[in-house]
Amino acid sequence: MLVVVSNTTVEFCHHACLVLSDGLSYSKLHGGGVTTVYKTKRRYLTIFICLLPSLVFLGIFTYYPIVDALHLSLYKSNAFTPQPIFQWFDNYVRFFGNPIFWEVVTNNVIFAVGTIFPTMLLALFFAILVNEVKLKSPFRLALFYPLLVPYAAAAMVWVFMYDPSLGPINKLLGIFGIHSIGWLGDQRYSLLAIMLMTVWKNVGYYMLIYLAGLQNVPAELYDAARTDGANWFLKHLHVTLPLLGPSTLFVFVVSIIQSFKVFTQIYLMTEGGPGYSSNVLIYYTYEYAFKFWQLGRASALTSIMILILLFLVLIVFGVFGRRITYQAG
Amino acid sequence: MFIRKTDAGNWIRYSILVVTSLIMLFPFYLMIIMAFKDPKSILAGGYLAPSLEPTVSNFVRVFEAASFLTYLENTVLVVTGILLLQLLLIIPAAYVFARLKFRGSGLLFIVYVIQIMLPLEALILPNYRIMNSFGLINTRIAMILPFVGSGYCAFLLRQAFRQVPQSLEDSAIIDGCGHLRFIWSVLLPLSKPTLIVFSLISVATHWNDYLWPLIVTDSNRVRTLTIGLGMFVQHESGADWGMLMAATLFISLPLILLFVVLQRRFIESFLTSGLKG
Repeated sequence: MLVVVSNTTVEFCHHACLVLSDGLSYSKLHGGGVTTVYKTKRRYLTIFICLLPSLVFLGIFTYYPIVDALHLSLYKSNAFTPQPIFQWFDNYVRFFGNPIFWEVVTNNVIFAVGTIFPTMLLALFFAILVNEVKLKSPFRLALFYPLLVPYAAAAMVWVFMYDPSLGPINKLLGIFGIHSIGWLGDQRYSLLAIMLMTVWKNVGYYMLIYLAGLQNVPAELYDAARTDGANWFLKHLHVTLPLLGPSTLFVFVVSIIQSFKVFTQIYLMTEGGPGYSSNVLIYYTYEYAFKFWQLGRASALTSIMILILLFLVLIVFGVFGRRITYQAG
Repeated sequence: MFIRKTDAGNWIRYSILVVTSLIMLFPFYLMIIMAFKDPKSILAGGYLAPSLEPTVSNFVRVFEAASFLTYLENTVLVVTGILLLQLLLIIPAAYVFARLKFRGSGLLFIVYVIQIMLPLEALILPNYRIMNSFGLINTRIAMILPFVGSGYCAFLLRQAFRQVPQSLEDSAIIDGCGHLRFIWSVLLPLSKPTLIVFSLISVATHWNDYLWPLIVTDSNRVRTLTIGLGMFVQHESGADWGMLMAATLFISLPLILLFVVLQRRFIESFLTSGLKG
């Protein structure tokens, strides 16, 4: 039953091989006896060797940064204070008293709510449609390809789309008598414009996740719904939606995280402006860290973001996670 | 039985899908036709119809103005480096979590899951400080390392490895098969769909990366395509849309072509792998 093992891999892992080779097989087949302690030791050595490299990376690039951010957030540290000065929670207090900070937080909330729910609904709708028609692949491709266009490239095209005089969107609106909306240059529309482009970019990915979930819905359930006389909408509301719980949870968590990662399109399309109208937490942090070099302040923002993210995800898993994952398993 | 009704329903479904697809494809369509169009005719407003005499002059000027081929090389190196290291480090870890249960393994796995929830974008400042202290600023390695310990990879592979039946493992053990051999010749071939899905998602994600490469690079020698495009736009501040779209198309096309070629494979893998949540 064994396929040929590549020679290079064997050579490359020679040392690891010696340690890993038969520790487990022995302990399983010849369990008990004098050698058990030795086998258990060997098993734990295997586990240790397998986990250590990835844990080192997680430690350096995820967990140490958390500690570093929390620590530095308690200091005054900027271009004019080369030696950081401890000042308790001053950085936080200043942000909480700063209306711009709250504007940025509000923007982030608007962005999250205004992209997550429309994207999920559209994704679900299109997944159901694609699943119900025979010819699937051109539609899947048309909906999914934006995920593969880098944000930097997508931003260029959308800047043109939103161009007040030349862009196709305003030309289309002009036909209906709506004239020159300054999309990216107008405080009222800048965030909305970024959100619209983000929905376009992500909807196909979530559609694909839903499509994967739909493969698990047994067809008999639809027959039952049809004999009960349920129409298309009711059928999906009562049969499809409950069964897509795991997919929905997955999409929801991914999109919460995504909504805090939004940077490239803002950096390239509006630079957070006009004013602070399209500024969000990541961009605000970037400005404090790499434009103003206020490292203490930027660390406080980083810490706030870490807490928000962990808190949100805990809530999501706490509320829905238990029920849904067991359903899936 | 319901032939007439189904036909009407199908007709509606197809029309909705066609209209949506056209809207979704429109930005890409613009990118392509404008890239091959004379910039003056774009400014005159005639950009919607494809040009009758397509020109490659936009591309020629792009490659004269900026070193996009170097950027391409850097992106390919960084993206491949990330993917290979992710797989190399995470496969053994996922193996342990899927098949070698030990006390506290569930708790330890949370260490990986939390990484999914804390994207690097949120941790740029501390990560920059670390790279700085390693002396790795302005290197390709700096663009690779922070993404290697991927919780997402661990999560997906653990799911896939779990689905391999215990009976296969037992017979492998009777055949005298060690851990590495078991991973290489049983687990990995059976987890191919997940490996394909993860690989494409990883490549697409990191081809897309902007914030981190922006911060850790400051010379053309190491810059990636996305950063190159951003710089290019800032330098060519005039509205030379033909040139901009040529550059935009150049950085997007490799991934899209790769996907079109692999579409069947990828979608099938996606629908069968453990991505259902």
